Amino acid sequence: MDVNDRIHDQLVKAGVTLAASLPDDWVNSLIRRVDRSDRIKHVPVGREAETVCIAAGAFFGGARAVAIMGNTGLLTCTGEMATLCLRHAIPVFCIVSARGSLDDHKVYQEVQGRRTIPLLQAYDYPYKVIDDPDEIEMIPDAYEWHRLQKRPFVLFLTKKLLGVTNA
Amino acid sequence: MKAAEVMKVLAAHRGDAVVVCALGMAANEWWSATKSEDSFYMHGAMGFAASFALGLALSIPETPVWVLNSDGSLSMNTGCLLTEAGQQPKNLKHFVIDNQVYQTVENMPMVDQGRADYALMAAGAGIAQTATIDNIPDLEAKLPGILAATGPYFVRLRIEAEPDYQRTPPAPYEGPEMKYRFGRAMEKKLGIKVFGPRGF
Repeated sequence: MDVNDRIHDQLVKAGVTLAASLPDDWVNSLIRRVDRSDRIKHVPVGREAETVCIAAGAFFGGARAVAIMGNTGLLTCTGEMATLCLRHAIPVFCIVSARGSLDDHKVYQEVQGRRTIPLLQAYDYPYKVIDDPDEIEMIPDAYEWHRLQKRPFVLFLTKKLLGVTNA
Repeated sequence: MKAAEVMKVLAAHRGDAVVVCALGMAANEWWSATKSEDSFYMHGAMGFAASFALGLALSIPETPVWVLNSDGSLSMNTGCLLTEAGQQPKNLKHFVIDNQVYQTVENMPMVDQGRADYALMAAGAGIAQTATIDNIPDLEAKLPGILAATGPYFVRLRIEAEPDYQRTPPAPYEGPEMKYRFGRAMEKKLGIKVFGPRGF
């Protein structure tokens, strides 16, 4: 089974019914998989902070949502994550490409690779990097755990996990 | 027309709508008019009340959802109009309280210097139903039709900037208490589960 099918199926198992996204070439296949889903409603957005705020709004409608984006996008929405989600203790589950890693040689991903995790640590946002396909099955547990944490949570997907060869 | 007059009319026509308020003037005036706990009063993420409302509207498609946005907040995230148009949520009404100033911060002038037409921008983004209203009789006359229409509907409400910019205080609760009051109100109002059996 394709890694994106496995992630999709675990999101469904976690009860996720809404996914807001903005493309990044590493997670585009996952976004396309979610878009084809008959279990998850896909909401494309124009700016990554919208994914976070859409997911936060969905929380109050009793829905389980995720925000899918690239690492660069995550950096752009840390302010909204803080002033909405931290301030009101709203959990938001973010699925983010681990851009800027040792195997990512795109020059415009360099800062993200070095500074994203220290930034998350500064905000005290929990995160988990998934590199092994067998770890995908932890998604339902991670989803439940992030609700208990009552704050943004970031699940990073690595280049190796996603099988990216063209980026 | 003035903000408090507009809120009074909106409140009278609210029905079962769940309301999301942009931070600052819109939130404060709506709280003052309604004291409603089945409304969410943004305290941060300026520009993203519309995104929050869209996520809410998509998750409760049978319930009317309003966003009371402001010109300052809309200017910070005009892209929300594109996302809203892309989804065409049938239950979402998008009101923009347009007073041409950043009222909460000493009535500083808006970035567009009074030249922007937000309703035209919404139409250009793909929201077919739009209106601009600048007086109370028109609001009273047009609001029933706007609310009866299958959304999305974008309504620009042109109001007077008021010199006493901090006249209306915010709701007297905030942060996590806002989360739990609103979440519990949603559970009670809609019969849904926002929180799990252990409260999170």
